[in-house]
Amino acid sequence: MDRLVRADWFGPLLVTLVAVIGMAAFSPSFLSPLNVQVLLLALCINGLIAFSQMIIIAIGQMNLSVGAIGGLAAISFAGLMEVWGVPAPLAAILAICIGLIGGVLNGFFIAWTGISAFVITLASLSIFKGINLGITRAQPFYGVPESVKAFGNTTFLGPLPWLLIPCAIVFVATWYLLNRLSLGRQILAVGGNEHASALSGISVPRTVIAAHAISGVLAALAGIALVARLQIGQPTIGDDWLILSFAAPVIGGAVLSGGHVSVTATLLGVAIVAIITQALVLFHIDPFLVQVVLGGLILWAVGVNRWREVRVQRSLKRS
Amino acid sequence: MAEVVFEARGVSKYFPGVKALENVSITLTKGSIHALLGENGAGKSTLIKIITGVYRPDGGELFLDGKNVRFSGARDAMGAGIGFVPQERNLIPRFSVGENIALEANSAHPLKRIDYATINAEARRWLKMLDLDIDPSTPVSQLSVAKMQLVEIAKALSQRSKVLLLDEPTASLSPHEADVLFGLLRRLRDDGASIIFVSHKLEEVVAICDTVTVLRDGNNACESRSMAGVGRQDLVRLMIGRSEQIPEWPERDSIGKPAVLELSGVSTAIGHRDVNLTVRDGEIVGLYGLVGAGRTELAKSIMGAFAITAGTMKLGGKPVRIASVSEAIHQHRLGYVSEDRKQEGLILMHSVLENAGIAVWRKLASRLGFLTDRTVRTKVLPFINKLEVKTPSLEQTVGNLSGGNQQKISVAKWLAAGTQLLIVDEPTVGIDIKSKAYLHQLLRDLSEAGTPILLITSDMPEMITLADRIVVMNDYRISGEITNTRDYGAMSEGIMQLIHADAA
Repeated sequence: MDRLVRADWFGPLLVTLVAVIGMAAFSPSFLSPLNVQVLLLALCINGLIAFSQMIIIAIGQMNLSVGAIGGLAAISFAGLMEVWGVPAPLAAILAICIGLIGGVLNGFFIAWTGISAFVITLASLSIFKGINLGITRAQPFYGVPESVKAFGNTTFLGPLPWLLIPCAIVFVATWYLLNRLSLGRQILAVGGNEHASALSGISVPRTVIAAHAISGVLAALAGIALVARLQIGQPTIGDDWLILSFAAPVIGGAVLSGGHVSVTATLLGVAIVAIITQALVLFHIDPFLVQVVLGGLILWAVGVNRWREVRVQRSLKRS
Repeated sequence: MAEVVFEARGVSKYFPGVKALENVSITLTKGSIHALLGENGAGKSTLIKIITGVYRPDGGELFLDGKNVRFSGARDAMGAGIGFVPQERNLIPRFSVGENIALEANSAHPLKRIDYATINAEARRWLKMLDLDIDPSTPVSQLSVAKMQLVEIAKALSQRSKVLLLDEPTASLSPHEADVLFGLLRRLRDDGASIIFVSHKLEEVVAICDTVTVLRDGNNACESRSMAGVGRQDLVRLMIGRSEQIPEWPERDSIGKPAVLELSGVSTAIGHRDVNLTVRDGEIVGLYGLVGAGRTELAKSIMGAFAITAGTMKLGGKPVRIASVSEAIHQHRLGYVSEDRKQEGLILMHSVLENAGIAVWRKLASRLGFLTDRTVRTKVLPFINKLEVKTPSLEQTVGNLSGGNQQKISVAKWLAAGTQLLIVDEPTVGIDIKSKAYLHQLLRDLSEAGTPILLITSDMPEMITLADRIVVMNDYRISGEITNTRDYGAMSEGIMQLIHADAA
């Protein structure tokens, strides 16, 4: 039992369950198929965004450019299909490559110059966004094929969106990476103690580049999914990702200095944010307050993490 | 002669403007514990970095098992069989014991699957070899410091090291834990391991080492010499080129003087119980104890950083309650020279003037909060001059000065603030012998001139040089007090007895 309580996902799971039950009790429409579909779609796309940041948090850095990379991948995906008529799967692969390149560039410059990730990704945020606006002239690409639109908006087995399938695969793969694959453990090791990792034969620059590459790919996937969902290639895709990308991992108990993230708890963090956003809508609360609530949620989560940390230290001291 | 496992022959290393090592040699035989000694700045850490592959030597050669080797980096040296347990903790806190031990093995292939069952089984084997009863799946962050140390040794052993280099392994261990470690090292030696043991604690070196290499000013003061018949004083002579000298200062009697600081029955929020301590006008009271005994924490409690939960604290005879460090400095004129001058004492990237003036800004600022460099300068300069801080100008960045000069600025800062009591924590760590003697004279003069000092140091000779009375702390309690007669043998024995009094 004690182990359960101490697990990262326990608190968020409790909050999620209470929120779901509470919402369902107050508003029966909350569990309607349509609403469940909307919730799951939000969970998929926001999950990708959160994971994109989570990988970088794991290595003890931050990536301010997740939104810019995702946005660039999104408009590339839509643009390739509209302007050159590239088939959707190929366009998606190319867009993923763009995300990969963006991430590798971030990682390369961080590892090579030793400048903090904050500064490098702040600069690359501006560059990627600038390229985005240069290509689109701030105008959306409307020519998204019907098949893509359908993929982002139809369901199977009742309320389950088709998008859930690729996203679920990515989520499981990320869990496997961070818990079972050498590369994932190396990312966490570098985040936990860079010096010790280097002395244990881990190549820190290579690991940093790999983490940013994965982050770029995840951001691109989120961008592509959002194009399918919105049915247009909006140049503004990615602009509002930043807060969410940090909020979910932090709610999931991630340590911002690195070395510890939880895939399950981060996903629950995404769910909590999605449910609360929905709640505001269902209860006719000003949607512009969402940001305020999100900010409060981050503070609360950080507070809880800090409290748990202090408690662990105390119990260590006593023993 | 036993089989030679590792040898560094005529190694030199130069840095711009400095020669760190010149023609230094060390020879390691199978089944021995070899002490590597030297003062700070003697070149010890440079030699360690050469042996572990971090630096490449500018001259000389390294031999492992008789073969000439060149390490291209730390990983290379590790792969060749140099196991290194560095001074700073070197484990991934959130990872399990097993995974930490296997980290090196798992770093080879990024896409390799991590098999926890195998990792734990393998780890269990090494832990068992060290008689360690730890479940390999425990996260390292839940272990005590001593256990972490042993896990690091297990990790180094698991890499099938031919040479095991331990840098200050006992720095954060209790005497009992250190004994366990020594037992283990002896057993490893008897099984044929070659161990390099780096320590500042000469008693330990005398107790467990078979051979010794001492460095002085980047040269061999002695090379791979047998420890048979070598005593503590011999080692000191080798390290500093002369015997340890306790200056011939007259004993001072401060019994009748008024008490400046008086703690009676004090308990603190971080665990001190029933602490009684008096510092009188014009004296230096030494607070001795092992790392983790609670000395720095007591100092910080006096400074108001941790709450005093029971008992009374009197300053100049009046009971006080200090709620914050700011209050201690500004209202009660207490000064604290931190043990960690780089982290807590000085702002390295700021100038000498800004650092020395930081504690008086509030006093000097005009009513509107304006503060000019000139006002600060007039206040601070006399003390900078008095302490003979060697700096090209007051605008010099403190980070560019030597350790000794940095420490003088930390002291000057408090003198400028006009403290009534100065708490000095490990004042000479990382400072060369000459500056050390100078700082000692300085602290002595200060106390003579009326600023009583509470001195915290783990350096026994320093304690016996400076303190008028020595109070011994153990496990957050005062375990006794002795008046310092400056007789090194008698005093160190007395202190050690007080430390081990309740441990036994």
